[in-house]
Amino acid sequence: MEYQIEREEKEVLGDFKPELIPDACGGGIDDYEEALHVLMKFVGSMSSALEQVSGRGANAIVYQAGKRMGHEAGKMVEKTDDLEKAMQELSEILGVEFFFDMWKPADQTEYTVENGNETIVKLIFRDCVVRQTLRRTGLPQKGPLCYLLYGYTVGAVEEVMGIRGKLDIDHVGPNACLKTLTIKWGGK
Amino acid sequence: MVKIEIDEDACVGCGSCVDDCPNNVYEMDEEKNKTKVVNEDDCMACLSCHEICPAEAMEHKDIHVAKRLYIDRKVSGILKKII
Ligand code: SF4
Ligand code: SF4
Repeated sequence: MEYQIEREEKEVLGDFKPELIPDACGGGIDDYEEALHVLMKFVGSMSSALEQVSGRGANAIVYQAGKRMGHEAGKMVEKTDDLEKAMQELSEILGVEFFFDMWKPADQTEYTVENGNETIVKLIFRDCVVRQTLRRTGLPQKGPLCYLLYGYTVGAVEEVMGIRGKLDIDHVGPNACLKTLTIKWGGK
Repeated sequence: MVKIEIDEDACVGCGSCVDDCPNNVYEMDEEKNKTKVVNEDDCMACLSCHEICPAEAMEHKDIHVAKRLYIDRKVSGILKKII
């Protein structure tokens, strides 16, 4: 008799033709949850291994990967040089998994600060899949994986606004992280 | 608008929240040796103070509570039964 792996769950069997799009993806919420946790652990350990091998270079590698993704995502929305509109589009690109707002200290009147040929705006990231992954894996924030989101944000803003951008971390917390986005006017 | 409440009975006056808050929301009340909220308007609800406070003495009201999908529902289900 052929050897069979024993499993508690029943295997889902069905018919499938290449041209068909399945009307359901299969699996219950528990399956998705388990997949998410496995993915979080995979990504977390990949990030820490990358850091172990490449040291600080890991940040640059992941940043570049994120930036490329950001540029690709930015191509799907309308170009604008209006910062507020760009932030609206950025929130659509990042989606609810990276729920962010513009933030300013109470005594500052505007969200943006002009400084020569630069515009500075503070962004508070309230929901973040990267933060969730790091906490799932027990890794500190501000590591290479965070650079994926920085790169992604910068890439998307650069693409949408046709400028050069930079993102710095001000503070990381368990419930929100504050970042400063600097936009350099005058093109790439 | 964020509202912060401090449980003065719980606060042990270690001052960690004062040192840790990036936006200087807290100050030590030297007389009482307890923390006090002095700059609530600048709180960005990062909850770093919650993480550092050894006494779980503060509560932030009316904030965006970030998703915590890293917490296994199975685990929280079991914990709920115990706690
Ligand atoms: S949540 Fe963050 S900003 Fe608000 S009081 Fe705590 S440490 Fe300060
Ligand atoms: S960290 Fe907690 S216990 Fe320490 S001073 Fe602040 S509120 Fe009190």
